[in-house]
Amino acid sequence: MSATTTLDRRSFRNAVGPGPSFFRVLNSEFIKFRTLMSTLILLASTAVVMVGFGALSAWGTGQFSEAALSDPEAAAAIAAQGGDLAVGVPTSGIAFAQLILGSLGVLLMSSEFTTGMARSTFAAVPKRLPAFLAKLVVVMVSAFALTAVSTYIAGLVSVPILDNYKLALDLGSSQSIKMLLVNSLYVAAVAAIGMALGTLIRNSAGGIMSLVGLFFVAPIAFQLIPGDFFVEARKYLPGNTITPLTAVEHVKDTLEVWQAALVLGAWVVVPVVLAMVLLKKRDV
Amino acid sequence: MIEAKGLTKVYGDKTAVGGVSFTVQAGQVTGFLGPNGAGKSTTMRMIMGLDAPTAGSVTVNGVPFAKHVAPLREIGALLDAKAVHASRTAYNHLLAMAATHSIPKKRIHEVIEMTGLGDVAKKKVKGFSLGMGQRLGIAAALLGDPQTIILDEPVNGLDPEGVVWVRNLVKYLASEGRTVFLSSHLMSEMALTADHLIVIGRGKIIADAPIRDIITGKGHARTRVRTDQPERLMQLLAANGVSVEAQDRELLEVTGLDPRGIARAALDHQVMVYELTPLQASLEEAYMELTKDEVEYHSHITTGAPVSAQAGGN
Repeated sequence: MSATTTLDRRSFRNAVGPGPSFFRVLNSEFIKFRTLMSTLILLASTAVVMVGFGALSAWGTGQFSEAALSDPEAAAAIAAQGGDLAVGVPTSGIAFAQLILGSLGVLLMSSEFTTGMARSTFAAVPKRLPAFLAKLVVVMVSAFALTAVSTYIAGLVSVPILDNYKLALDLGSSQSIKMLLVNSLYVAAVAAIGMALGTLIRNSAGGIMSLVGLFFVAPIAFQLIPGDFFVEARKYLPGNTITPLTAVEHVKDTLEVWQAALVLGAWVVVPVVLAMVLLKKRDV
Repeated sequence: MIEAKGLTKVYGDKTAVGGVSFTVQAGQVTGFLGPNGAGKSTTMRMIMGLDAPTAGSVTVNGVPFAKHVAPLREIGALLDAKAVHASRTAYNHLLAMAATHSIPKKRIHEVIEMTGLGDVAKKKVKGFSLGMGQRLGIAAALLGDPQTIILDEPVNGLDPEGVVWVRNLVKYLASEGRTVFLSSHLMSEMALTADHLIVIGRGKIIADAPIRDIITGKGHARTRVRTDQPERLMQLLAANGVSVEAQDRELLEVTGLDPRGIARAALDHQVMVYELTPLQASLEEAYMELTKDEVEYHSHITTGAPVSAQAGGN
């Protein structure tokens, strides 16, 4: 059949329906998030680790404070902490939460590329960035919410244990609330960095290794390398911003609170923006 | 309608697609044929906006794919059976895709029924056979009830029943006025399914014509003739451009004359003919003829080996 007869044929015209608005893409990303068993397992294990470490830490802290009654060194250590050991107990598993949820951030994006799902995702959302931002929202909000809830439950579990050692933990105190919110925000930030790494590297193992390198290897390496430069540089690593952000008083060899907030913000914004630029440009 | 103009994709120093221009019309099935590495999948990915062209442009209904307000309702594509997270169930995969365009659940169930995935929809894609994976890919392509459908090797891994199903499905979709663009390395399948053929080799368009023209255009139309007077018929048909080959006692193969012409000659001289079969498989010959200089990966097989060995899809 020739082109002219083809054009003369009844031309199929679809009633134009709704397209990928940000809310719809967000809904789609949330469906993708909740329909993977591996994601749910990672979330559950984070909660278990957070609560478990909270309970362990409550027990350890109790033992330590009892020792302090007869040990002047331990007493001095407590005094150096502002006298309140218990307030840090609910968030003692935070290093593991950041590792697991940061890895989850990597995986949610890298798996798009390793499984080929990205072709479906970006065929549905060819502008790409709405899908990236929707996934970022899902990753950050879930990391924040899970950390906050786990921290609170860890606190509830810790209170009776600490009580045995005559230590008081008030989950409603301003420092407790600050610890919960700042740590949850911090884990959300780590998850965002993970997702940016997953987008840039597109490989699960490579992304997780980079994340571990940044948060766990670099601080130790920087400590081992002699020289003032590395002592100074160490403060600017993203994993070392959480101490000044949650401390009651300024801790030696760390940034000021406002500096720490800016540095952590930069550690999120720079890789995320880079990931967005490259995601838009690169072939899927 | 899909329009490619000077579409080019260069990877490093390798040109995958070298400035191809073609138009895929609505209302017919257009086949996309070419040997391995010819640039078929790359071209399809560029249509879908997944790969950016190095040069040139491609539009769908006059607009680049990414500029459409509702892309899934405009184009549906099966690019790769593995465009799915295998740990998700088929239903949840479709649910997530449908959510981006607020496609109702009713439509998800429709495409699941249409593609025969009803029994496995709630199972993880991990356990799917290649054929079921293809069916899921086709279901995803049809989800938005799109005007344009792109299918890369849709019958790959399907059982015979599935092959017939895809053939009927694409013909039906085209008859509704939709644009259907499908690649396949199964030339016999293409001969049965496509109305129009675009042949690509080493990133260049070698042929772009109605399938009938491609089969007959090169003088390769052959007809199998059975008659009880083979010698007499051979004499009658002997003319310029017509070659007749005796293959068996009463079996001839005629090249260069259509069945109607053979029948006319036989009727005029009262020669009984009891079989006249146009040999459709000649698409393979036409194709091999067209692509013989364009095959990227020569398999160095001796002549006489199955032709399909040189012409796998990607």
